[in-house]
Amino acid sequence: MTVTFQLNGEDCRFHGDPMTPLVDILRQERFLTGTKAVCREGFCGACTVHVDDEAVPSCLKPVGLVEGCAVTTIEGLSSGNQALHPLQANLEAADAVQCGMCFPGMVMSLSAFVRDNPHASRPEIKAAMVGNICRCTGYERIVDAVADCLDQARKAGQLVGGINV
Amino acid sequence: MAPGVERSFTAASTLEEAMAARRQGAAVLAGGTCMMRDPRRGIDLPEAVVALHRIPALSKVEIEPDHVVIGAAVTHVVLGRALHGAAGFEGLVAAAQGAANPGIRRVATVGGNLCAFDFAAADLSPALLVCEATVELETFKGPKLLGISDFLKDRHTLLTEAIVTRIHLRRDLIASAHIRLPLRKAGDYPVAIVSLAVDKDKRCRIAVGSVEPVARRWTALEQAMAAGPPSALDPERAAGFALEHNDFQGRDGREAEGWYRRQVLPPLVKRGVAALLKTEGLA
Amino acid sequence: MSELSATVMNLPRRDAQDKLRGRTKYTNDRVRPDMLHAVLLRSTVAAGRIRRLDVSAALRCPGVRAVATGADAPGLYGIGIADHPLLAIDTIRYHGEPIAVIAAETEKQARAALAAIMLEVEPLAPVSTMAAALQPAARLVHEGWRGYEVITEGGARAGNIAWEAKSSRGDVDAAFARPDIRIVESSFTVGRQSHVPFEPRVAIGSWEDGRAHIQTSTQVPWTVRNVTGRVMQLPPGRVRVTVPPVGGGFGLKFDASIEPITALLARMTGRTVVLENTRQEEMATCLCRENAEIRIRSAVTAEGHIAGREAVVLMDCGAYGGEQVFLTTMTAHTLGGNYKVGATRLVSRAVYTNTPPNGAFRACNGVYNAFALERHTDEICDALGFDPMEFRKKNVLGDGDLGATGQVFEDDVLGPMLGRMEALRATTGTSEAKADGRLYGMATTVGTWFVFVGPSAATVNLNADGSATLVTSGVEIGSGTMVQSLPQIVAGQLGLAPDQVIVREADTDAAGLDVGVGGGRTTVSIGAASVAACAEVREKLLRTAGEMLQTRPEDLVLRDGRVEITARPGSGMSIPVVVAHAQATTGPITGSGAFTARNTPAMSGCAMGHFIDALDIPVFVVHEAEVAVDPDTGHVEVLAYRVVQDVGRALNPRAILGQIQGGVVQGLGYALHEEVTLTADGRIAQDDFETYRLPLAQDAVPVAADLYEGAPSMGPLGTKGAGEVPILAVGAAIGCAVARAIGKPVRQLPLTPPRVLRLLHEREPPPELSHIAPGWAANTLG
Ligand SMILES: Cc1cc2nc3c(=O)[nH]c(=O)nc-3n(C[C@H](O)[C@H](O)[C@H](O)COP(=O)(O)OP(=O)(O)OC[C@H]3O[C@@H](n4cnc5c(N)ncnc54)[C@H](O)[C@@H]3O)c2cc1C
Ligand code: FES
Ligand code: FES
Repeated sequence: MTVTFQLNGEDCRFHGDPMTPLVDILRQERFLTGTKAVCREGFCGACTVHVDDEAVPSCLKPVGLVEGCAVTTIEGLSSGNQALHPLQANLEAADAVQCGMCFPGMVMSLSAFVRDNPHASRPEIKAAMVGNICRCTGYERIVDAVADCLDQARKAGQLVGGINV
Repeated sequence: MAPGVERSFTAASTLEEAMAARRQGAAVLAGGTCMMRDPRRGIDLPEAVVALHRIPALSKVEIEPDHVVIGAAVTHVVLGRALHGAAGFEGLVAAAQGAANPGIRRVATVGGNLCAFDFAAADLSPALLVCEATVELETFKGPKLLGISDFLKDRHTLLTEAIVTRIHLRRDLIASAHIRLPLRKAGDYPVAIVSLAVDKDKRCRIAVGSVEPVARRWTALEQAMAAGPPSALDPERAAGFALEHNDFQGRDGREAEGWYRRQVLPPLVKRGVAALLKTEGLA
Repeated sequence: MSELSATVMNLPRRDAQDKLRGRTKYTNDRVRPDMLHAVLLRSTVAAGRIRRLDVSAALRCPGVRAVATGADAPGLYGIGIADHPLLAIDTIRYHGEPIAVIAAETEKQARAALAAIMLEVEPLAPVSTMAAALQPAARLVHEGWRGYEVITEGGARAGNIAWEAKSSRGDVDAAFARPDIRIVESSFTVGRQSHVPFEPRVAIGSWEDGRAHIQTSTQVPWTVRNVTGRVMQLPPGRVRVTVPPVGGGFGLKFDASIEPITALLARMTGRTVVLENTRQEEMATCLCRENAEIRIRSAVTAEGHIAGREAVVLMDCGAYGGEQVFLTTMTAHTLGGNYKVGATRLVSRAVYTNTPPNGAFRACNGVYNAFALERHTDEICDALGFDPMEFRKKNVLGDGDLGATGQVFEDDVLGPMLGRMEALRATTGTSEAKADGRLYGMATTVGTWFVFVGPSAATVNLNADGSATLVTSGVEIGSGTMVQSLPQIVAGQLGLAPDQVIVREADTDAAGLDVGVGGGRTTVSIGAASVAACAEVREKLLRTAGEMLQTRPEDLVLRDGRVEITARPGSGMSIPVVVAHAQATTGPITGSGAFTARNTPAMSGCAMGHFIDALDIPVFVVHEAEVAVDPDTGHVEVLAYRVVQDVGRALNPRAILGQIQGGVVQGLGYALHEEVTLTADGRIAQDDFETYRLPLAQDAVPVAADLYEGAPSMGPLGTKGAGEVPILAVGAAIGCAVARAIGKPVRQLPLTPPRVLRLLHEREPPPELSHIAPGWAANTLG
């Protein structure tokens, strides 16, 4: 079967088993290895991508279900020489990264979260991270970075992601 | 799947199309969060699937003054958002917003949660039990309506020739609550769930999930509470009744043993009643 | 000290941007379409004899290019004793043990061909527990144990006891016989902990010009090189190991495991072969922190003096000796640490069972020995009516005190650190109010660990653009040493900015021997080797500059990328000018440096079967936890967590605080959530993220930490490793705090809600350790 979807803004055509998990196509056929397959069961969030702007795990997404959808991966969030997404910049500034394997998924989940929840509190940020596991950092710096990111956006009168409030 | 055989994948745009595929042997694919984990459990993916997400009628929540209709392909997130603030549905909203994790809730559907029949920890089952929901099925012989209790009990056989299409709820509740107990704060399956609701006659409905293989109403407790004065809606008293009428056989699982699931029920009832009492006019 | 001020800074990580953008290529991101995929046939029984193994049909399956079995790699490897085959030979010793491996064009083809391997196994009744393994008539997990090559001499061994280490100082019998003492005895059991690095064990092997090249996610490139040589019966020099960025290790990757298999298949096929554990395989065969059983007895006077102490520690090594053989050593320094004790004797035994082999995990057995010792200390305080904090202040190791092997500790460290904890608590306040009606408990605990020193080598090349290239076998596993402390150290030595220091990825063909990244050793050992290499570079640089400036080298300094006359800032010339001159006259400027353990002495006759008789660099921690326990459900909520950590010298305080936060949360997992149990048929029951409960963001708390500087250390600029030790006393602090909250003794970890509820209802049976004999000596091989 052929499945057609948008991948990081470009047309992408996949021929093969429509029940193939999206993550395998990203990694094995498109070499977009920023999306990580860590648990393959929906618990860790390392495989998170945006499908029609919603952050979802790509390990449990049969590619047949993304027919006609727009898929954005970590590589599409700030590509080439583009500046880091404000959340990425805050994570860098907080010295939050350790082994780094969880971060692409963490960034994809939380970039959608900061876009949709400009007034989130610390407990709300933590609740949004239930599906994103990090084995290295102990989380708090990631939470700090999200809170900083929201603070800055509020001060600048912007939604994170660039749209004016 | 035999080598060389191509898997059949139908994204149905109408229920008729979905039923046609179903008659040909296609399995229903909703969000896929349960089905895509089958290979890990040693089960092959079905050779033919029919996806429901393109059928508009199954993807919406209709809220009327006296009833609510939920399409089977509605996700947890959409359900929680649609019913947010609707009096009486606090428990169902809490179930939809507290299950699994945010990424899964954006994908997993109401139908999938109710139809994964070997999954004991489903949050929506007890929440819908206290709503006394009616499940609408499209079977090979035509549409069929049945109560949620019967559906849960018989779904194993019912689903061999059917698709769940809608869930119907009356708006006869004044308050409800959903108390789930994972072993961490969240993110793992709840080891026990207690859903409670109070209807317009101030009668209390209570259902328990995850403790036994299939969620069920806690009739003994409901009767005990109904026998008392209305002031029986007191957390401590309710917990006392729960202790006395604990007729559950806890199931042993990898995450918790049966005795634990059973043991925590009275305190969960206490929390649930306390949550109900926060609703205006109930205290 | 200007060298110090030029080195200490909160240098950001140079790898952060790429990691955040998903551009970093870990080993498992380097799979290419032209590679073969390898898949393992693993045992489905815990013990058995291989009666027939025929792979000929599998070789004929579509896409299959090679099949290997134990016969293709007959060498045995191990730590201390060589007992471990790469693929099972004749005997199966654990569920999940690799028996054969298939390389095919696709992973699917390789998996499909597994079914074509003809395997007949005669199952044996597995020896599943240490209690069973220590029965006099127990079946031997290794029938041929006597015949194994002994790599390190000194340990006692017998049958199912893979290794035994003992320490004994003073007359313990006399101490226990004193009329003025009370005897307190406690028993503990702890479960395994799975590392769950986000990148599983994975390797890519190729065969190039008659040599193996393995790219792998490891902490120990030299071990992988040497083990591959051993099992393939090649000189290790015919193996090259390179290490891309590693997606987490925590000790799991401190041993070779699947890597040599890829070299073997590459030699057979002439193709590049990738082998990656699935998550299920990774968790089912994880070289976990071992489960252990501990009995401690102490003789304590009414004044609170610990006159005598004895302990037996049983460590389950699983089917093969592995790290546990080495780690038996650490009991003397962890259970034997923390406190001054009159006479002491400790035995620690690594016991073979038919279960998946265990390994090293961040602070290893220190984590549970700290738990056992601190809970035992609280039981002493309960029994004799001492205040736990006062008892600790009075008894913690100080200057001149003796450890269990007779090592003399230098300086008062733990005592002042306890004071600093009280000061820290005064600034943060306490959180009892947040308990909100639940049972509240707080505990302050101490811990002793060490920096694993040992050989490291470094080369520094000074380049004509003024940059320096640091070549070592260090690996970046996430802790930041390769991107923060090492470039900081080299920059500080050479008067450069850290971004002028290029750090080479580990390559055993390019850099000298290193025992690996673990035990908090990179900053210390590779750091010290780098300082030595820089000294040679400096010397050459200053000599050349001296000639150019007609000044004595002693009068020159390296500052801000220049060689200057000490007294005249801004004088002299830039480093590139000097380097260019040297290149034209005496040749390029390079330096090499080496470092190894000092081998601090123990008292003679005190340590038997130890790999380390005394600690070159002890490290101390003080941890304090506040918890609330829900009496209805047994849930423990951590309300606050505080750490005072002995860091020697903090080169990058912000990075150390990040390690502390991460290590403490990993410890909270061990103490509260992460449970590994073995099924009746010898499998690890929790082999996925559904059942193995890692701490999530909501289970974490911000850790308040104070870095204690100035304790003696042989590390460069006085540093000690800071990344390993934050997990050390978490089980201890949580265990003690929960015990105080619920008013019942806590003798097991993890404290899952069901376990806590059982404790509250007194339905949790105390550990029953009847296989530990009442008399200490009866638990030793004499
Ligand atoms: C990480 C993780 C955590 C989870 N935690 C929780 C939790 O805390 N609480 C909880 O309740 N659940 C939890 N779940 C389970 C999850 O909610 C269910 O997997 C989900 O509800 C299934 O929905 P789906 O749409 O993805 O179903 P699918 O996987 O698409 O389908 C599941 C089954 O139902 C059948 N089916 C689906 N829709 C219909 C229909 N309309 N008619 C007939 N048959 C149908 C399918 O054929 C299949 O057999 C968790 C799952 C994951 C992956
Ligand atoms: S890999 Fe998809 S959630 Fe873990
Ligand atoms: S940084 Fe390693 S998993 Fe998050």
